[in-house]
Amino acid sequence: MGDIAFLLIIFFMLTSNFIKEAHIELTPPAAPELETLETTPVAIAVDRDGIVWLQGKECPPSLVENAVEALIEDKRDKTVTLRVDKDLPHGSYGSVIMALSRAGAEIAMIGTKTGDDRP
Amino acid sequence: MQIKRRKPDAPEINVGAFSDIAFLLIIFFILTTTFVRPAGEKLQIPAGTTDPEQKDRKQLTITLAPNEILYGEKGDTVTIEQLREKLLRERLPKRPAEDRIIILETDPVVPYETYFQAVMAITNAGGVLALVEPSDEEAPAP
Repeated sequence: MGDIAFLLIIFFMLTSNFIKEAHIELTPPAAPELETLETTPVAIAVDRDGIVWLQGKECPPSLVENAVEALIEDKRDKTVTLRVDKDLPHGSYGSVIMALSRAGAEIAMIGTKTGDDRP
Repeated sequence: MQIKRRKPDAPEINVGAFSDIAFLLIIFFILTTTFVRPAGEKLQIPAGTTDPEQKDRKQLTITLAPNEILYGEKGDTVTIEQLREKLLRERLPKRPAEDRIIILETDPVVPYETYFQAVMAITNAGGVLALVEPSDEEAPAP
């Protein structure tokens, strides 16, 4: 009994991936027509100060393309989760989206689902 | 007289409590690994430079200006709800793939929320997004 329990504990400890992006401060944008997505192995975020975080680590915007390309190279699922603060100007996130598309990634844009439409 | 010699008992550990703790830990891990499924939308943005030949095709352009959304060639100002309706009326899924491309031009000051809602509207209407950086603002260094 205890043996099985411990095997299960070890299994859950190994499979649980802890949230790497807890320290990144951003408010996701809202839109009504969102689907539920799976979590992806590669995640990129741009926080409210415009700092780019790749896999929970700070990454200069100029290196995003090559870094993402290297990360998704050997993966079957080329989806990259993108979280950006809702008030950030396009000058800060536009280059990141461009870099992701050039790296050949499929972008999963994350937001919060709303019932009401905000203009 | 026979001395009763008791065999010393093999030491035993109370395993019952042990497995209780183990199961508590299991329950903890099961609850903490409840996968947080984010809400969003997946999209593939075709990468590449603007092909001069493609400029002849009439592709729908949506411009996100600092305070307004401009729809199409004529540049009608629309709200995000009107944009959604107009895009649905285009019946994009019935068109051939190359005619589903929608060009999105974004001003550098546009907040992400506006951009995000425009992208969601385009994707939901079945459009394929093509990004264009305003050429005079952010020209790549040669």
